[in-house]
This record gives sequence, C-alpha cells and structure tokens, in this order.
Amino acid sequence: MFSHFLLGAAGAGLYIGDMLFYAILFVVLMAAIAYFAWNPVSAILKERADRIANDMDSAEESRKEAQKLAAERKEALDKSHAEATDIINNAKDSGDRQKALIVDEAQKDAQSLKERAHSDIEQERADAFKGAQNDVAALSIEIASKIVKKELDADSQKELIDSYIEGLGDNK
Amino acid sequence: MDGESIATFQFLGLTFNTTNIISGTVAAVIVFLVVFIMSRNLKLRPTGKQNALEWMMDFTNGILRGSMDAKKSTGFGLYAFTLFLFLFVSNEIGLFLQIGWNHVTYLRSPTADPIVTLTFSLITMMLAHYSGVSQLGFKGYFKNTYLTPFKVWLPISIFTEFIDFLTLGLRIYGVIFAGEMLLKIIGGMAFSGGILNMVVAILLALIWQAFSVFLGAIQAFVFVTLTSVYISDKIEVEE
Repeated sequence: MFSHFLLGAAGAGLYIGDMLFYAILFVVLMAAIAYFAWNPVSAILKERADRIANDMDSAEESRKEAQKLAAERKEALDKSHAEATDIINNAKDSGDRQKALIVDEAQKDAQSLKERAHSDIEQERADAFKGAQNDVAALSIEIASKIVKKELDADSQKELIDSYIEGLGDNK
Repeated sequence: MDGESIATFQFLGLTFNTTNIISGTVAAVIVFLVVFIMSRNLKLRPTGKQNALEWMMDFTNGILRGSMDAKKSTGFGLYAFTLFLFLFVSNEIGLFLQIGWNHVTYLRSPTADPIVTLTFSLITMMLAHYSGVSQLGFKGYFKNTYLTPFKVWLPISIFTEFIDFLTLGLRIYGVIFAGEMLLKIIGGMAFSGGILNMVVAILLALIWQAFSVFLGAIQAFVFVTLTSVYISDKIEVEE
C-alpha cells in the first residue's frame, strides 16, 4: 500500500506502461467524443445561435415594417378625414348655390308668367271691347238705315217689314 | 485489505498495472457510452438528454471562459470536456464498484493511483507549454513563463512549474485514495464484530459515500479549473 503512496517508486517501479496506456486511452476517448458528440453538438449550437440572430434581425425588421405601416395608415386616415370634410363643405356650397339659382329662376319665371298673363288679359279685354264697338256700330247703322229707309219710303213699310223679317229669318 | 498486492504484466518491455488498465478502460467506455447515447438524435430545438449534454459542454466551456478569452478558450473546449467527464467518472466509479479477487483489486477508481493522476497532470502541463510556445513564439513563451516579473525569478519559476505539475496530480489522487481507503476501513469494520458493528458501519459507509460523491465531483471540477488556469497562464501575457 505504501508503494502507492511513494508514487510507486519504492515498490514495483514507475509504470511507464500505465502512463502510455492512459495517454493513448485519453486521446482515443477525446477523438471518439469529438467525432460522435462534440463536433455535431457544436455545429448544432452554432446553427442555433445563427438562427436566433437571424430571427432577432427579422423580428426587428418586421417591427419596423409594422411601425411604418401603422404610421402610413394613420396618415391616410387623417387625410381621408380632411378629404371627407372638404367634400361635405363643397357639397354644401354647391347645394347652396344651386338653391339660390333655382329660387331666382323660379321667381323670374313667375314674374314673366304673371306679366304675360297681364298682357294677355289686357289684349283680350281690348279685343272684346273692339268687337263690341264694331257690333254696336253695325247695329246702330242697321237701325239707322232702317229708320231712314222707313222715313224715306213709308209706303213700302210692308216691304220693309217683310225684308226685315226676311232678314231676321236669314239671320236665324 | 492488508496484504493487498498489485497485479502487473509485461508488454513490449513495459510494466503495466492490470488494475489501472481495466479501471481506466471501464471509465473511458462509460464516458463514451454516456456521451454517445446523449448525442443521438440531435435537434435544433433540444430535448431531454441533448439539453443535459449541452449543459455539460456549457459547464466546461464556462470553466475555460472563467480564466481566458472566449476566443482562445474554444480550442481547449473538447479537452476540458473530456477531461472533466473522465475524471468525474473515474472518481466515482470506485465508490460503488470495487472488484477484487484473491486479494488483488481489479476494478476501482483509476484516480486513486498517483501514476494515473500524474499522467493527466503531465498531459495538461505539456498542453499548456505547447500552447504557450505556439501562441507567443518560443522567445515570448520563455519570457512570459520564466522571466516574469523579474529575470532573477528564473529558478523559482522553474521550480513552480514542477510544483504545479505535482500538486495538480497529487491533489486529486490524495482525495480519492483517502476516500477509498476510508471506505475499505469501514468495510473491514463491518465484518469485524457483531451486528451492531455492521449497522454502524453501514451508516458510516452511506454518509462517507455521499460525501465522496461530492468530493469526486469537486476534484474533477478543480482539476479542470486549474488546467484552464495553467493554460491561460502560458498563453496570455500579463500586462
């Protein structure tokens, strides 16, 4: 047991063979672990780190994109509000103008209609007056002529009456 | 337990300790199988065992990053990972599995033998010095390692290198060897007397084993930490 304690030097001598064996064993073990575990796992770790970096980059990018889109939408919304107000104002203005125009026109039309009706009535009345005048004149002339005819030729009264009646009959 | 002898055999003119060969191989196979099984079916989105494996890799990488630049530490990641797992398994294996036959132990903690721990210590020191030369050039390495902070420091620096090498290996050996020896003593006590002795011994063994599991983990951690410290000492110039 004490041979162990004195590094094996006291007993069976230094086991160079063991040292060699362990050195080779360790190198072989290291190579096997490198081939079967260390390198694949390191590759996976690197791939994962790359993936995470990529994901973070793309997340940042999409966040920026989303912010830009939101800003654009807000701007568009504001613009559409302004546009809507403009449109409504324009419509109101043009409606007002149209209203004024229509009312004006209607008033003018009514005025002219009224004037024409007035003149028509005037004309009618003048025409009727004229017709009546003519009739009265003709009637007066006829009566006058009949009276004259009677005074002129009393003898032929009968004839006159006859002719008158005849004339009436004709008139009928 | 007394009269314990060591089985050795000769091969190519070199002496081999059978116990160390068997124990080391078993520990290496266990480490390899665990890592191999854990690294099957790797996915980008890790699950269960892959998580555990990545955690272990991150753990040893964290030890390295604690004492040197992240850029420089990547080259030593595999070494630290393998070293930690192998030492950890080696420390723990003797706690629950000791196979002896004819007063010769064939399976126990390989790290309970100084020749094994000093081998790993030597590997670490060689790696550290090699990295120092390859990083700084031989002149820079020599100046950084032996002539800093003063030129007259040279003898002390050389002495320090030997001390580092010896303490690194003997620290882990001492803890594990003492742990195993105490377990053997407790085991001997269990069969030395009546039933009362047995009960007390079982209790003591339980407590000591639990503590040894903790010690084994700590020692593996300390070994890897010091490894990374020594390597960073050699490859990084102190301002």
